Amino acid sequence: MKVAFPYMGTTVIYKKLIELLGHDVVEPPEPTQRTIELGVKYSPEFACFPLKVVLGSYIEAVELGATTIVTSGGHGPCRAGFYGETHKKILRNLGYDVDIIVFDDYKSDKTGTIKKVRRLKNGKSWFYLWKSLKTVYSMAKSLDNIEKRIEKMRAYEVNRGECTKAWQTIKTWFDEVENIEDVRKTEGKSNKLLGEIKLIEVPEPNKIKIGIVGEIYVVMEQSINLRIEEMLGGLGAEVERSQYLSKWIDFNLLPKGIGKEHELNILKKGEKYIQEIIGGHAKQTVGHIVDYAERGFDGVVHLMPFACLPELVSQSIIPAISKEHNIPVITLSIDEQTGAANTLTRMEAFMDLIKSIKRTKIA
Amino acid sequence: MKIGIPRALLYYYYHPLWKTFFEKLGFEVVTSGKTTKELIDKGIKASVPEICVPIKIFNGHVLELLEAGVDYIFIPRMMSTRKGEFYCPKFMGLPDMVRYSIPGAKDKILFPKVTSLTDDISDFKIYSEMGETLGVSNKQIKAALLDGQKAWIEFRRITKEGYTALEVLDYVETGKKPQNPIKDYRVTIGLMGYVYDVYDEFVSMGIVDKLREMGVLVETFEMMDENLLDAELSDMNKRLFWTFSNKLLAAGYKFFKDGHIDGIIHVTAFGCGPDSLIGKIMELDSNEFGKPFMTIRVDEHTGENHLLTRIEAFIDMIYREKVKVKKEA
Ligand code: SF4
Ligand code: SF4
Repeated sequence: MKVAFPYMGTTVIYKKLIELLGHDVVEPPEPTQRTIELGVKYSPEFACFPLKVVLGSYIEAVELGATTIVTSGGHGPCRAGFYGETHKKILRNLGYDVDIIVFDDYKSDKTGTIKKVRRLKNGKSWFYLWKSLKTVYSMAKSLDNIEKRIEKMRAYEVNRGECTKAWQTIKTWFDEVENIEDVRKTEGKSNKLLGEIKLIEVPEPNKIKIGIVGEIYVVMEQSINLRIEEMLGGLGAEVERSQYLSKWIDFNLLPKGIGKEHELNILKKGEKYIQEIIGGHAKQTVGHIVDYAERGFDGVVHLMPFACLPELVSQSIIPAISKEHNIPVITLSIDEQTGAANTLTRMEAFMDLIKSIKRTKIA
Repeated sequence: MKIGIPRALLYYYYHPLWKTFFEKLGFEVVTSGKTTKELIDKGIKASVPEICVPIKIFNGHVLELLEAGVDYIFIPRMMSTRKGEFYCPKFMGLPDMVRYSIPGAKDKILFPKVTSLTDDISDFKIYSEMGETLGVSNKQIKAALLDGQKAWIEFRRITKEGYTALEVLDYVETGKKPQNPIKDYRVTIGLMGYVYDVYDEFVSMGIVDKLREMGVLVETFEMMDENLLDAELSDMNKRLFWTFSNKLLAAGYKFFKDGHIDGIIHVTAFGCGPDSLIGKIMELDSNEFGKPFMTIRVDEHTGENHLLTRIEAFIDMIYREKVKVKKEA
């Protein structure tokens, strides 16, 4: 069984889990223009942009020999839950012989989930599985911590691109870990590497902090969000995202009552503006904006796939939040036609706005 | 006290319930007028550009009611009316959107949360929270809901005899029984579309009347029995997440299989995510069933003439086919 997975964010983590279970991993390449084109070409027109890119990424994985794709179904009530089924149909129509294992919300389908896990467990013991999961979880935490550090450092690097390069190196290091001990060592080594990067000294009050919120796929996947983090870093802003893989695991996969305070707290902050979970991450989006405002961030970039149903609701409400909490927010709606040059211009203007607000605040 | 009800979205499905309810409680119900070009323009200005036309129209109606000086506007939060299904996210977030994006609306919205297992949403639990704001007792609410429920059930019953929502809304309002749906017709069309698209005369430009003038018998999803409709989607893999989208889809399948339906027209408003999905599914399956299928997508600026020509051509084509088949038989 040659196993692949959807490309989203720090993929070495999924790769590791599948490897530890003794499967051959086919790592889908990071989405490129070709991936997007393939996805757009073979997806129905109605599909949301993430669905198209993921399809493109599956096709590339299958071209590389993947026979099984493991993915999560996402949580209704939105089109995300429709992804697995639609992808299966399209791939089959294209004549690809590939199996897609969709992990849906395990609470609603426990036996189904256990069956799927048994298949993937590959004859390994449950104890071994547990150990592997723990390793991978600690890896996710570790990588997220490192990435958060990089997202701050980028704004101040003396040599452009150094942080991003270090991040690539670090990910290849993590690709080698086998147990929790390795994870710890690699984290130490990574931090050392980052410590060596030369940074410009910027006094605390002059630092610019920008939060990135929105639909999970476009927030997490840099290759389709025009590398917005690097772009903003290059313009001198520290960034922080609303979503990180380890937090997603905490909220969606860990049992009740563990590690969920953060997300619940965010949902609570969003409550005033969107009272119910309306699908996708709309309620989290508004909650995170409030959170960033309260934490003294200077601005927020809101990312959404073009015409994303729930995020259109957040977009409609954002001007009110922005006003009430006194924080500038810019919405970027993303699809295959969103251009990098145009986005850069908009981000530059946004940074100018933030700087001028900061100046009047300080003066 | 004046309670405003926007003549948009689910007005076309639940108005008899809501209107009766508020009136029985002793309030004056103000319904916004028909959608006009001006109203849409106002709605567009108040909405984010990417959002679907029906929401823009809805915002226009809210603005009109605010201008009319109502005390409250009733915008229930439609969450679910079937187990395991939801409403389109825009419905679920509708009161939030209105409260925070329409100036002056914030404290004037009544937005009880509607979660129910069936289309009948006259359950006391849904409406009880408004008691305090409106200054009415639980007992009064219960009594008013009973009347509302009766009105709604009657509305649904007559609709199923083959009358359009507009005809029946009119009947419930004025007591004037609608005329029999046409008896002489040359073609029968299954019309797919959300009630707020098909019956908003600005969106669909009165498509039902136009079709009837062409000698067409029109059937829509609300004319069918809910349970029969639901059974069409017994194959779970075909179900979408959104209740009304499922109703449309189920109607579509029924139209495909039903021998007396000659063709299908899908009316959709620009910017609807769920509809683009349904449209695609129908298009793919229409080949399999060999039934003519046409989509009419209306945006803020579609010209009426153009629409009429396309519909005429479609109906003529179907009619010619029909005559030919008859001759050959
Ligand atoms: S959340 Fe947005 S992108 Fe995701 S399925 Fe729903 S509409 Fe599509
Ligand atoms: S179902 Fe379509 S038309 Fe209706 S609110 Fe949702 S997106 Fe708009």
